[in-house]
Amino acid sequence: MRKLFVLPLLIAVMALLVVGCAAPAPTVPPTQPPAPTTAKPAATQPPAPAATQPPAPTATQPPAPTATKPAPPTPTIPPTVVTSTEGCAPGSTKIVWYIGLGTGSQPDQIPVEKAWAEKFNKSQTEACVVLTVVYNTGTNSYDALKAMIAAGNAPDIVGPVGKMGRASFQGAWADIAPLAKEAGFDLTKYDPALLEFTKDEGVLVGIPFALFPSMIYYNKALFDEAKLPYPPQKVGEKYQGKDWNLETFTELARKLTVDKNGNDATNPKFDPKNIKQFGFFEQWTDARGIAVFFGGGLPYDPKDPKTAVIPEHWKQSWKWYYGGIWKHYFMPNADYQNSDLLAKGNPGSSGNVAMWWCHTWYTCCFDLSKTKWDIAVLPTINGKVTAKLHGDTFAIMKASKNQKVAFKVLAKMVTDTGLMEFYGGMPADPKDRPAFFAALDKKVAPNKINWSVAEEMLKYPDLPNHEAWLPNMIKANDLFTAFRNKMDQTPNLNMDEEIEKLRKDLDAVFKAAP
Amino acid sequence: MFTRVISIPHQLQQVRTSALRRREAIWGFLFLTPWIIGFFGFQLLPILMTIFLSFTDYTGTKEFAPGNFNFVGLDNYARLFSDLYAVPAMGVTLKFALIGIPLGLVVPLYFAVLVNSRYLIASNFFRTLFFMPTVIPIVAGTIIFGGVLNAQSGWINLSLKAIGIEDPPRWFSDPFWAVPALNLLGVWSSGNAMLILLAALQGVPTELYEAATVDGANAITKFFNITVPMISPVIFYNVTLGVIGAFQYFVPAMLIGGLNGDPQRSLLFFPLHFYREAFSFSEMGYASVLALLIFVVTMIATGFLFFFVQRLVYYAGAD
Repeated sequence: MRKLFVLPLLIAVMALLVVGCAAPAPTVPPTQPPAPTTAKPAATQPPAPAATQPPAPTATQPPAPTATKPAPPTPTIPPTVVTSTEGCAPGSTKIVWYIGLGTGSQPDQIPVEKAWAEKFNKSQTEACVVLTVVYNTGTNSYDALKAMIAAGNAPDIVGPVGKMGRASFQGAWADIAPLAKEAGFDLTKYDPALLEFTKDEGVLVGIPFALFPSMIYYNKALFDEAKLPYPPQKVGEKYQGKDWNLETFTELARKLTVDKNGNDATNPKFDPKNIKQFGFFEQWTDARGIAVFFGGGLPYDPKDPKTAVIPEHWKQSWKWYYGGIWKHYFMPNADYQNSDLLAKGNPGSSGNVAMWWCHTWYTCCFDLSKTKWDIAVLPTINGKVTAKLHGDTFAIMKASKNQKVAFKVLAKMVTDTGLMEFYGGMPADPKDRPAFFAALDKKVAPNKINWSVAEEMLKYPDLPNHEAWLPNMIKANDLFTAFRNKMDQTPNLNMDEEIEKLRKDLDAVFKAAP
Repeated sequence: MFTRVISIPHQLQQVRTSALRRREAIWGFLFLTPWIIGFFGFQLLPILMTIFLSFTDYTGTKEFAPGNFNFVGLDNYARLFSDLYAVPAMGVTLKFALIGIPLGLVVPLYFAVLVNSRYLIASNFFRTLFFMPTVIPIVAGTIIFGGVLNAQSGWINLSLKAIGIEDPPRWFSDPFWAVPALNLLGVWSSGNAMLILLAALQGVPTELYEAATVDGANAITKFFNITVPMISPVIFYNVTLGVIGAFQYFVPAMLIGGLNGDPQRSLLFFPLHFYREAFSFSEMGYASVLALLIFVVTMIATGFLFFFVQRLVYYAGAD
């Protein structure tokens, strides 16, 4: 009788102990980037709207960027911060600045933002800026803003916020153009392409503020170990005498993928079930982000936006991506992405990925000084180079009762170089960039990064942008996110059928758009 | 006259009694006021608002004020029939319930019997150990399980590989295994149910076991013919809570599968579907219908339990 009880008991106890001692996985496994611990953000791409950017099982999510060191996500969410009108000029108009849809809500960012508001409030008598900062987990700050709007307490200014964040509140943003005109703010000094980039559904909802071009990050140590030369840092440069194109890039990525026996992915003895190092990864983006590796595009007919049409080069890109995971094995599937090997959803930071494609904001999320790294240009695919682009700004809510005063505050925000540097975006104005990169150089030392690559990649943006407006955008993005996750998680897919299914689903969503 | 003399004190007594009762009632209501306000403000009003919203096209991106929404009649209810995700989401919830409720009963009962055994040394230590996962916040527990069940580096799969299983389940990447994996998480944190069952086990009169022993009953017979009937009210209580909990299951599913319910919507539980409609897609009107539907389904399931299953419960004091 005693034995009857002791054996199962021991098994149960062992199970409990082992589970209790096991290393935790990220709550928000793959798509959600690690919640940063320190700030001086370099990123601003928000963990996007709920449906499109959930914590999900594949590393598709842009980070809640802004840290210099990644840390495991914490279940503890910092409390909401609301500042008072203390120090404001009597009779000044209260302007509520909401922070939480992008970067800016990290606890160590808030003092800087508070200081900026206090300084601004003392500098003039017309506006009194108060902050509402809701920690951005990708969902709760969105819910909080919705609750504020529903209760009739919409904030005046929201930001920094990117296209995806704004899309969660489609139609809720004021048109900046007439406000700028009335205030005498000169918009012509901005590149028209950047102004176009800051439009949602044809409405200018912000002023170009911070840019985040993308490029190839590479781990020098892994290249050195494989005795392979580093990838090109100028468009047009060759790699080992070959054009820097898709074939060369794929071959390189395979050579840099290694199994536990030391075989690379070009070796017939390569063991895909026990990979220890990957050649490449498309970090924290959705299916549209993957698609534009082969060139910008729109998933609908421009003449009839309610009809879904998948561009041919997008299909090629998805097939190449899928083959990279399940056929050639140089990219990690969802299980690998979330494993300890790849830092539980932050592969680029793990030291076990040789090259990864991401934006400048990714300087938030790995050890900039200890990792031996640099950046390289994207390969030429189908005769052209495409580097997807992100951009953040501040927007005024349509429900704001003080739009004119809010614009004056916003105008100060977007032209304040201190704020720009603080949020870590590359300045839209080239003359401000040397100072920006000089500040970054201090963070990355002893590494010496060739920032000209980032500037060069700005010349090859994805047009149309991968975050461009879509009919019924939130639901459409939801489908794109699910599509990427499916590619990451599921072997043996018939990609033609899957893409056709996606098209049909998109078509239904587009047609249901108001 | 005599009659009158008697009747006056009686009336006085009635008057005094009713005044006292009124005062008592007033004080009673005063003491209940905080709860009543809470009930109206935070329960009844939201329920009524949900019903109201279900007839509108209100979205969460506008102030809730006249002019910002329209009445759409039964359109939101009709949409249920064309919703591609509603039925699969309910299916996911039911699958979870069908696996989780029996597991959530058998495993805690097994643990409770183990730690109630007189043969067990340091039983308090083991009781504490089994209960400990319950005090871990669900978010932290889910994080831990995300790691434990990782197909590449989780210790469960590493153990399975070590014993020769070359292709262990891809727990959170394979739609087939995702729900059972969450059920495992539920089992891990079943200390609460174990504790309640343990209390019930300890309440079974020992004379019954002694009498059965004298009659020659073995341990299994005693378990099924004495223990189970005697603790059946507690089992029923746990089952009822399990059913309600299963229909409200949300947080771990969202943490593991994200708002998409990955892999391939296999973790798109009904409450998650509701949440997406309400807070991701801002379809408050339709989301209200989903909320009401899950309320009705839960009520029906609970009603079914009380109407049919409760008959199987043995109440010792009810004879």
